[in-house]
Amino acid sequence: MTEPSAPDDPGAAVEALEERIGGLRAAVRRAVLDRDPHLEGTLRRELSQAQQAWDQALDATREDQRSALDPAATSPGGLAAGDGTRGPDQPDHATGGTSGRRGALLPLREQVHEALSLLQVPAAPRIIAAVHEAFFATTFPTARLTSLRRDEERSFTSTKYARPYYICAALSADYLSPSRGLLAVSTWPLERRIISSLSPRVDFLVSAINIAQATEQLPDPVPAARALLARLAANIWGSSSGASGAAGPHRGRLDPQAVIRAARAELDVHAGEDQRIRSEAASRARKQLSDVEQLFGAASFREPARRGQAAEGR
Amino acid sequence: MTGTEEQLARLRGGQLPKTHNARTIAALATNPGCTRRAVLDAAAVDKAEVASRAGYPAPFGMSPFALGRGVAFERRLKDEPEKDLLMLLREALDLDIAEVGFTDLNEVGGSTDLAVRHERTRRLLTAAPDQRGTLFDHPLLRFAVGGRHAYLEPDLIAFRHDDTVHVVEIKSFAIIDDQADGAKVAAAAIQSAVYVLALRDLLGDRAAVHDQTVLIAPKDFSLTPVAATLDVRKQISVLRRQLSRIAAIDDLLELIPADVTFSLEPDRGGQSRRDPAELLRDIRRVQASYAPQCLASCEMCYLCRDEASGTTGALGKSVREEAGGIESIQKVLAYAYEKDPYPVPEDVTEAAAILRRAATLRRRSLGDPT
Repeated sequence: MTEPSAPDDPGAAVEALEERIGGLRAAVRRAVLDRDPHLEGTLRRELSQAQQAWDQALDATREDQRSALDPAATSPGGLAAGDGTRGPDQPDHATGGTSGRRGALLPLREQVHEALSLLQVPAAPRIIAAVHEAFFATTFPTARLTSLRRDEERSFTSTKYARPYYICAALSADYLSPSRGLLAVSTWPLERRIISSLSPRVDFLVSAINIAQATEQLPDPVPAARALLARLAANIWGSSSGASGAAGPHRGRLDPQAVIRAARAELDVHAGEDQRIRSEAASRARKQLSDVEQLFGAASFREPARRGQAAEGR
Repeated sequence: MTGTEEQLARLRGGQLPKTHNARTIAALATNPGCTRRAVLDAAAVDKAEVASRAGYPAPFGMSPFALGRGVAFERRLKDEPEKDLLMLLREALDLDIAEVGFTDLNEVGGSTDLAVRHERTRRLLTAAPDQRGTLFDHPLLRFAVGGRHAYLEPDLIAFRHDDTVHVVEIKSFAIIDDQADGAKVAAAAIQSAVYVLALRDLLGDRAAVHDQTVLIAPKDFSLTPVAATLDVRKQISVLRRQLSRIAAIDDLLELIPADVTFSLEPDRGGQSRRDPAELLRDIRRVQASYAPQCLASCEMCYLCRDEASGTTGALGKSVREEAGGIESIQKVLAYAYEKDPYPVPEDVTEAAAILRRAATLRRRSLGDPT
């Protein structure tokens, strides 16, 4: 899961880094203007990391030119992002390493995509950040995700389907309006992106199962991953830690299989009804909504939702 | 317009009626004996404005830190209703495993219009039991107070399999070692009682609204939520009585001189032109019953406290009752220490005797020979 990344194309990497440094500078300026010291600090750290990486990459280019070797071996990518979903506009560098410094070089949307691909259900920024921290060793301030959906929508509206995937909205089952605060992936079936009143619990159980499975596959126990699983297990009856809470001394001994069993058992109760509502809403959405609306929510509802989202981010 | 409404409109003057919310309705019940408050509320006068024009601005407004903490705590629960919130309610209300439906009524497809939200709330809550969800976040209820409708927004309500509804109130004061501040719990209980009444209005006999409400608050010094149940039967009956008093406001209005008005006589810019002294005089012509508890719930509290200074009521209801009908503190002391130059009136002889005895006991126990 945490395979060492293969050498990238140094030329492309340098260019990508320059682009990123430019973008980060602009973001720092915006953070200063917005008087957000927390975001500013994070961005400045990322900026100095990017600067260092740029120095290193430049050194590597010089050495490469000297030895005149073919550098074009590309990385297969990390846990979930290696499925050929990288966009042509997203240079492939610095994947899946355990080093936080390199991982942070992935564009935000790819980090979000990695986490969502593991979860397999629409999720709120906080969960996405927690999952990315647990399984991909890097995290990001959730405030940065508030504008992501809007940026993705703008990109989709200007050129449809130019990217292999978009980070998009989950739709509420009743009005097909964008569901507050949830992010999803455009390549998922529409049914999965519908949120009925039962869906929060169903999606939570599914994500707990997926996180438990991913935790099992880790070669070494990762404390952050186990802590995340323990937090989820505390909210599922019958998983070994039960309702006794996540902070106990037994945290390390939590059995992922027990979590999966308990979650499946409860899932059986809700899944049928939830699926029925979802398919009904999805077929309605396919009939009534345009392409962009299917991804980002029915048009009449998008403006107010967006304003709400901006207010939340503030 | 009936005579009553005419009279109330005259009391209010030209101002717009002030709408009630759960807090103000709950405040009705804290001092049921106060005519001033009952009349001002029935006339829907903006009490804060009137009090400050009369020279006694109200000390109200929550600390931004307390507000921030409250918002953060509620959001922490509601952002992931499928986790802590559900587990707490499963335990507190004994919900079935299948009861996990969560409906967000903060907005209807992006619209936060009150009428739209209320309509959707009504439709969802009155749906057939098998079509209905379990948890409803911020449903918008409507409640008639003194002939006007007020919109109310409980934090959460929960339907249970046996067709009973529970009101859930999320508060940010801490429950430390299973104990919480009595006054705050009482305030939460009476607010919950307001919601219970509003829900009963809405649901009629479709579902029973339970007398037991759930209070969710942070445990000890953390933000970990913990649930407790509150029995609000007493609060409901107090509220009922107070609301019926507002409905039967005619009796109180008869006691008020016809030329009393709380009008602020605003000019075109909304600035009040009413003479403060005159306004104060009119306010004083309506009888109040001040108690220290008023400081926590009524905008007129400083005015009434000032007025009540020197009376036994200012020291609290229990002192007033103990002093047995003697209104002024000075007189109480005079009777107790027998410094009264004039004879004790007939109707307070008994109280005066008790006071004298108490004073003697006090002197003896303190070793004071006088």
